[in-house]
Amino acid sequence: MLIDHLISKLNQSCWKLFKTQRWFFAFLALVLSISVAILPGVTQQPIVIQTLIRADEAQQLQPLVNKFNQQHPDIKFQIVEAPSDSNQVEDLYTSSFLLGNSPYDVVYMDIVWTPKFAAAGWLRNLSDRLSAEEAEQYLEADLAGGMYEEQLYRLPFRSDAGMLYYRQDLLEQAGYEPPETFDELLKISQDLQQQGLADWGYVWQGKQYEGLAAMFVEILQGNGAFWVNPDTLEVGLDRPEAIAAVEFLRQTIASNVSPPGVTTYAEEETRLLFQNGQTVFLRNWPYVYNLAAESAIAEKYSIKPMVHAVGKGSGATLGGWGLGISTSTKHPDAAWQVIKFLSSEDAQREFVLDTGFVPSRINLFNDPEIVAKYDYYPQLLEVVQNSALRPPISQYAQASDILQRYLSAAITGKISPEQAMQTAANETRNLLQR
Amino acid sequence: MLNKQEKLTGWLMLFPALFILGLVFIYPIARAFWLSWFTENLGTQLQPVFTGLGNYQRMLGDGRFWQSLWNTSIFTVVSVALELILGLGVALVLNKSFMGRGVVRTIAIIPWALPTAVMGLAWAWIFNDQYGVVNDILFRLGLIDAGINWLGSPALAMVALIIADVWKTTPFISIILLAGLQSISEDLYEAHKMDGASPWQSFYQITLPLLMPQILIALLFRFAQSFGVFDLVQVMTGGGPAGSTETVSIYIYSTVMRYLDFGYGAALVVITFLLLVLAVATISLILKRIRT
Repeated sequence: MLIDHLISKLNQSCWKLFKTQRWFFAFLALVLSISVAILPGVTQQPIVIQTLIRADEAQQLQPLVNKFNQQHPDIKFQIVEAPSDSNQVEDLYTSSFLLGNSPYDVVYMDIVWTPKFAAAGWLRNLSDRLSAEEAEQYLEADLAGGMYEEQLYRLPFRSDAGMLYYRQDLLEQAGYEPPETFDELLKISQDLQQQGLADWGYVWQGKQYEGLAAMFVEILQGNGAFWVNPDTLEVGLDRPEAIAAVEFLRQTIASNVSPPGVTTYAEEETRLLFQNGQTVFLRNWPYVYNLAAESAIAEKYSIKPMVHAVGKGSGATLGGWGLGISTSTKHPDAAWQVIKFLSSEDAQREFVLDTGFVPSRINLFNDPEIVAKYDYYPQLLEVVQNSALRPPISQYAQASDILQRYLSAAITGKISPEQAMQTAANETRNLLQR
Repeated sequence: MLNKQEKLTGWLMLFPALFILGLVFIYPIARAFWLSWFTENLGTQLQPVFTGLGNYQRMLGDGRFWQSLWNTSIFTVVSVALELILGLGVALVLNKSFMGRGVVRTIAIIPWALPTAVMGLAWAWIFNDQYGVVNDILFRLGLIDAGINWLGSPALAMVALIIADVWKTTPFISIILLAGLQSISEDLYEAHKMDGASPWQSFYQITLPLLMPQILIALLFRFAQSFGVFDLVQVMTGGGPAGSTETVSIYIYSTVMRYLDFGYGAALVVITFLLLVLAVATISLILKRIRT
């Protein structure tokens, strides 16, 4: 009874409200119907395309984002800023894909993530979207780094490759040509150190992290060795050439050419040593060139492809970032528009001129505007064209961790190079069989 | 006696709490157990494939797991032991009344209140081989003539981690023990003294036995926490050099998040969980024996 009473009372009051405020309700209904049914038809809502990029780089990309949004009123491209540590960006992408319903339509990724993301089924196949002529415009190895099982998943945006920096002034002073082989590098270093021209000969990245694996790929290539063959999944770490590569690194420390602390250095520590004039040679990425130009050794250094063993060729580990489309996006075509725009020649030129990063398109290395600003880019092309990929396998993260552990143990003298490389090779074989 | 209806109401009222507990505790643990019977990684396109005990078998031959377990055990045992000794000392001092005790008590808690990641970063700089304070002090004292590469050599990196952890969590233990100390009546000490006991005898015969419950609690808390240490290690060494400071939780994180090897990651979680339960049960059993 009580409930009946309450309901009828509620009913009455509702009617009363409606009667007294009927104009208000009519107005409300009108506004609602316009905004829900009519407006979207008249003014097209732009499709929102999101991606996740390290905050520092997102800032550098902002002019291009604005330009894209001006040119494409139907698409709103926006960057979500991520922490400035690329491992954390990888984790953020990974968790968003694992949880499903990822908010990211475009994936901005490091070259070594591509096989894993593709194998996990998080990326869309781009092979049909890129024509053969378009593909030829890109650095071959950089494009190959975006392939998984012969399908394209990532279009390169900016490239990166390891190389040898050397002090031109010191070499000239002592009457040396830039070294070509590992032995020449050691000999010149020791001579210059004895003459008191520099504290150290050669610094490289020896800390246990991804940079160690990247650096080692160059030494492997320079010795004619390999890590993992991506086609046959053969592991080459325990071959004599690969062990010789480890021996070379140990020798740099044993012969006092590299400081003992080199086994804890990442890129920045080695760059500072080079910039402060404490070392003759440095292995590093292209970003050092512009920074060193503002230091005490400005105009006193040059770059060349990495040294190698007699009778072998040099290798440059390819790094760099590219763009892919996530499987979960509802707007793959709009996402492709973004990718096409960012990787276009004009956009890359603007970005390179702004930031000094390395383009992924071959003809930009000899582009008059770019060469006018950075005269070493033609030299850089020579380096980048020698580039070697870290194994493009889906279990790369694990393979790299295995190598890093044992290589770190070998160069710090905990175990012998043979033992380190044999164990690393066996563990890698086990990994690839799983 | 409760009648049937009251019992039912009781259960109904308990239900929300039990439900939430089940959701956040039992479900994840059960799920990890379940998942550990499957292979689910990039090789299987992230689809679960039943492998029985395969993951556990793989663990037996996984040197990296055993090393990380060993690292974690060393870290836990040494740091918890040091923290207990230091924490007890600090608590005993703070229990005495002296000028400015309130201020000192507050200051003593600060390390524990700081976010671990922040102080981990600070400790990484303190132990830096080129610019670190530790090397600078040792150098000025004339104990070394070249910078020690603290975080670059396996044993020293572990020492650095333990020092940082002890600095951070000693306050936690001392607060718990201080609370215990304050509940011990002064009369006991007075009576003991009159019987002719020395301060050391009072400490062994009154303080320690009466403080045992708090020591037990502090020990269990710290043991469980320390066994799962992640943030401090991740920030200070990242598990290096050569994996010598990699703890189990860092290995599990890599396995799941970076290698996307969910089945094996679950098996690692299960074994670590069981080992931890076993260790905690053993400690409490031993301590109970000591008490009685």
